[in-house]
Amino acid sequence: METKIPKPSDAFASLMRSDFTTQWRNRRSVMMSLLVPLIILISWKGLIPKFGGAFVFSISLTIGLVSIGMMGYAISVARDRDKGIFQRLRVTPMPTSFIMISRLMVQLGMIALLTLCVFIIGYQVDKISLTPLGYILTFITAFLGGALYLGFGQMLVGLIKNAETVNSSTRLVYIAFIMLGMFGELTDNIEFKNIIHWSPFGTVKTMLAAAMLPSTWNNDATIALLVTIAYAVIFSFLGIKWFKWSSAGA
Amino acid sequence: MIDQPGSSILQVENLNVAYGIFRAVSDVTFNVKSGEIFGLLGPNGAGKTSTLSAVEGLLKPLSGEISVAGFNINKQPLHAKANMGVQLQATSFQPELTITEIIKLFAGIYGVNLTSDKLNKILQDIKLEESASKKFGQLSGGQQQRVSLIISTIHDPVLVMLDEPTSGLDPQSRRQLWERIEAIRGKGHGVLLTTHSMEEAESVCDRIAIIDHGRIIATNTPQALIDLHRNDPNVINASRKGKITLEDVFIGLTGKTVRA
Repeated sequence: METKIPKPSDAFASLMRSDFTTQWRNRRSVMMSLLVPLIILISWKGLIPKFGGAFVFSISLTIGLVSIGMMGYAISVARDRDKGIFQRLRVTPMPTSFIMISRLMVQLGMIALLTLCVFIIGYQVDKISLTPLGYILTFITAFLGGALYLGFGQMLVGLIKNAETVNSSTRLVYIAFIMLGMFGELTDNIEFKNIIHWSPFGTVKTMLAAAMLPSTWNNDATIALLVTIAYAVIFSFLGIKWFKWSSAGA
Repeated sequence: MIDQPGSSILQVENLNVAYGIFRAVSDVTFNVKSGEIFGLLGPNGAGKTSTLSAVEGLLKPLSGEISVAGFNINKQPLHAKANMGVQLQATSFQPELTITEIIKLFAGIYGVNLTSDKLNKILQDIKLEESASKKFGQLSGGQQQRVSLIISTIHDPVLVMLDEPTSGLDPQSRRQLWERIEAIRGKGHGVLLTTHSMEEAESVCDRIAIIDHGRIIATNTPQALIDLHRNDPNVINASRKGKITLEDVFIGLTGKTVRA
């Protein structure tokens, strides 16, 4: 009897379709990921003359990226692992890596949507506009920043097996990042400012702000870009290394 | 080869599974033939699910060989998995997806060309055409089991593995499920299942292996197991009705102590 191995592209397409459908049905979570950065973008309109449009744009986008990596990716992975959804998919004849790649593709779609929304609302409400190169570079760096937070989310679900604990931990980290973003820049404490600057929040924000105004891209932005990539690699490596497909441990 | 009735479609040899220093499965060897329902019975924590998980490729065994339709699960996992259908003990699907979407998802993963006629036929067959747009979590336990079973067999695998398929079902749903499992056997496919219901195992399984503390302690047809052990003092001691049943043999061999 001949064994028919399904075409990987067909299997992947089916998986992606179902993951996008799942994301679409979770519109409340999608809205939450978009709402907080957009609220910041709108409510900080008054700060634009003082700090510049790129500053407000970059903080708003960074918080959105944190939300996607934490609330979007990590919580859904923890929930599905707890429900045995991954185990059900793992017994099928497709490479296991497809399961995560498909989910990451959905989150990349979310990052693109978030960036687009921030651009549109920023232009409509705050009258912030970038050069074409600025828009392109912001998209690229938003994906890089997103990779960092997705890696961070992966690390959390690698470290913590219980879905409830992942849920509460990601919310705590998310709030901490929002606080850092909103008040970190306003402090006068140099040491604290430095820590924030080189934290996973600060490097993404610096990189995004520089990408929005390509003429201001400097050595600091390049180092921020490299540190962001390093964070993304380290977090993803640890997240994959520690990750268990089942909350029971298998 | 595997089309031949009675030929082995699952071969497990000297399987050892460990979690850290705890040995969950020790030197387990058995085979499942085509056209046969093979029951793996054992008390809680005996090693049934660990054995099944190793066969399904969900965990890497310490040692041993597992081949499905001639394909080694560790060396050719995709080929082996393409030949098996699996219903896990705690199966769940994305709660946001409807039954139709779940069936389409797995049809796509298994490379099954699912026309709308075929999909309707499947839904009619499992008596869920009215619930096609319902989400999995909105179905009753029996309906969920029917969906799980149809997904396990959507690609017509030569081996179907069912981990406690009747657990939590009412008598009607259980009866219907057994009919479906027997229909799978009728097509010449092999079925490997675990169950805690000795009565069901006795009436449905062609062969049974009793596993305890990670080791297989007996393998045979239900009747042969009863005949072989009917004079065992532990089995007689376990007997409550005067007539020796498979449950008496099971308790006689594995003990009366309740496992955690």
